[in-house]
Amino acid sequence: MIGFARLLEIQPAHMKTIFLVDDSATILLSISGILTKAGYGVEKASNAADALKKFQSGVKVDLLITDLNMPGMNGIDFIKEVRKLPNYRFMPILFLTTESQQSKKAEAKAAGASGWIVKPASADELLNTIKLVMR
Amino acid sequence: MDEITTVFVTESREQLAALEDALLQLEGSPEDNDILNAVFRSAHTIKGGAGVVECNFIVSFTHVVENVLDRLRNGEIKLNGDLVALLLACSDHIGNLLDVLAAGTPAPDADLAAEGSALLNRLQRDWLEKGSGGDAPSSTPPSARDEPLHSSGGGEVETDCWHISLRFGPDVLRNGMDPLAFLRYLTSIGRIVLLETIADSMPNADEMNAESCYLGFEISFASTADKASIERVFDFVRDDCTLHILPPHSKLSDYVALMSQLPEDPMRLGEILVRVGALTQAELDDGLRKQQAPPENDSADSAPQMPLGEILVEQKVVSPELVDAAIIKQKQVNDKRAAEARLIRIPADKLDKLIDLVGELVIAGASVNLLATNTGIGELIEATSLTGRLVESIRDAALQLRMVQIGETFNRFTRVVRDVSRELGKDIELSISGGDTELDKSMVEKIGDPLMHLVRNAMDHGIEAPDVRVANGKPARGRLELNAFHDSGSIIIEVADDGGGLNRDRIMAKAVERGLIQPGQVLTDAEIYNLIFEAGFSTAEQVSNLSGRGVGMDVVRRNIQSLRGTVEVSSTVGQGSRFAIRLPLTLAIIDGFLVGVGRSAYVIPLDSVVECIELTRDSNGRDYINLRGEVLPFVRLRELFEFRGEAPARQNVVVVQYAGLKAGIVVDSLMGEFQTVIKPLGTIFHHVKGIGGSTILGSGEVALILDVQALIQRCTAHETQRAEQPASIR
Repeated sequence: MIGFARLLEIQPAHMKTIFLVDDSATILLSISGILTKAGYGVEKASNAADALKKFQSGVKVDLLITDLNMPGMNGIDFIKEVRKLPNYRFMPILFLTTESQQSKKAEAKAAGASGWIVKPASADELLNTIKLVMR
Repeated sequence: MDEITTVFVTESREQLAALEDALLQLEGSPEDNDILNAVFRSAHTIKGGAGVVECNFIVSFTHVVENVLDRLRNGEIKLNGDLVALLLACSDHIGNLLDVLAAGTPAPDADLAAEGSALLNRLQRDWLEKGSGGDAPSSTPPSARDEPLHSSGGGEVETDCWHISLRFGPDVLRNGMDPLAFLRYLTSIGRIVLLETIADSMPNADEMNAESCYLGFEISFASTADKASIERVFDFVRDDCTLHILPPHSKLSDYVALMSQLPEDPMRLGEILVRVGALTQAELDDGLRKQQAPPENDSADSAPQMPLGEILVEQKVVSPELVDAAIIKQKQVNDKRAAEARLIRIPADKLDKLIDLVGELVIAGASVNLLATNTGIGELIEATSLTGRLVESIRDAALQLRMVQIGETFNRFTRVVRDVSRELGKDIELSISGGDTELDKSMVEKIGDPLMHLVRNAMDHGIEAPDVRVANGKPARGRLELNAFHDSGSIIIEVADDGGGLNRDRIMAKAVERGLIQPGQVLTDAEIYNLIFEAGFSTAEQVSNLSGRGVGMDVVRRNIQSLRGTVEVSSTVGQGSRFAIRLPLTLAIIDGFLVGVGRSAYVIPLDSVVECIELTRDSNGRDYINLRGEVLPFVRLRELFEFRGEAPARQNVVVVQYAGLKAGIVVDSLMGEFQTVIKPLGTIFHHVKGIGGSTILGSGEVALILDVQALIQRCTAHETQRAEQPASIR
């Protein structure tokens, strides 16, 4: 059973994987829907601790999108932690923010984020922003 | 409702519960930043989700609430009881709005909308304008931003295109950004008409660092987007680049100002501008001439044009809020919250289906087991017994899925106690313990109403008014306890207060008045207290808004009984009363103990079985035995169910225990443990005492499940009348 599950995780080489971290199930569902439709592989976690565990286990990720305001470890500390991991030093990181959280942008960029997505984003905005930072 | 909306509604209800919870905590410790952040986050998550599902009436309402919370978080306003009450009302209103969304109605009805705007007005008037000193909301960008572009002098430049001057800083590549990606992104909002690459800052090959970026671009860009949208394209590199954007039909003087701000030589830039089509040669010449002309000619025009660069620079300045943000940084990990967030949501009916199927599997498994045993093939028996063990594990795991913590139900009462005690003018503190006790989800849903009734009763009738309490030498603040814990296969939920206790004499008098008992009848305390569960009984002298209509307690008992539970009362005059609700762990499948009488099989719930002993011959004729010095009354199933024929030479006593009482059940044979899928009996069997349900054995026969509680009562309370009225089920 476990073997089969692993098989399902193996994706075609060209498929980019995006790791999505948000405590809001609504956001996770909507963004992952857009990403999947656009042909990206999506990994999800609802908090920073779980996400870090996956990163520490060496999951293959081309882009991280994380919320900033989460219970437990907040997004900015999370980004700092991810940047400490050698495999993910150069991975692009986008964070989710709202217009009311302008001040967080500089703080998150200083922590190592590449850019941000303003919630709620249209599918086009989201995908364009992803293309902007993803290699 | 589509999937996202369903998830949003479910999630938001949880967030609301968390919000309410945190607000109440906050009232006790208004300085706690962690709790404040939790409140803010809940509102924020709801608003964010509402934006995703495009539910504007929730977004706009929650937005104002969030603003108030933000001011609170920034220390601009102070929390007090009024604000908590107002925010709680807002939280209720959001709940109502969620109902509207869940019902698929496009907008709230007039009443709800009026309620919403009333709340918004109060928020706006009392908490958003107060103390702000009338300064404009900081979220609105200064509208002056674009003005200089329209008021400056010189002729208009004849082009429909935006002009973008872009110089990437040396660190762009090192920061993981690809300059080309930005140009590509730019094309998503318009068309690049002409583009000139500026490589003037490129050093000689030996000085060049391959990791540095030396490029700049002059771009003529056709787009209907506004300036902010174009700026946003370069948001991620704003700190790493210089960016100048001129709208179509900008004044010539703006271009001149631009040229003076760029690092390259103005003459060369002018040529480039001409090349990308931003300016004609004539315009360029005109512009350069103007720049050299004495400024007093058109000082009114040129004065506002110069700040263009400053404005652009200003827009790049790091916001001072950064400092605030660092202060508000949240620290504490709330483990429980994090654990909740790891949940998977599945519709309850899928789970019920699974439990049903597991029930069928258990029955089918028992049948296979029986057949295998009949064949006598050792290997087959071993294999089926392994399957049996696995089925048992699956059963436990499946049932575990339905188990939820009672804490959430308990926490609802924090709010109830707060509201009701205010209403009654009493000071009551609620203490909750055992919130992590788990019980079946369907039971959690159904126990809410009876609990609510008991809690309200305790507050209304149990706990006295503060002056009465002080006069009686008790603290003015009353105490209400909600406890939950496991007790031999059952869950006990207690509602206890430290009020006046139940008044025996008043209950007796009322019961006589209502014709429930005869005057002069002698009753034990427990019997008297149980009278309050009779229909139509109420001792409150004044019927209050909350309770005391006398329709409650019998409904409470009925509801609890429908969950196969019981409720017991204990009370001490002057010290308070305690209602203990005893519920079975689960409603679907139990571990049973199979016993035989004659040719029939019965199931005794294993949880209540203490031990089994042989019935010694000398006890024949008596209805009790000596169990290690203890008198153990028993009931003979053979007599109770009127079996014909002689009892076998050897009989067994199954010692059972329920709610602290022990009794024996005499049966012919003991057949061992049996996984019992409970099937309800039809309504015509409802009056039969001593039978709780039925189940199907592996052989396909029906076995009745004994109601241990009823049998114990029969043994202990009515021991003497036992022979008079044997219940008949056959």
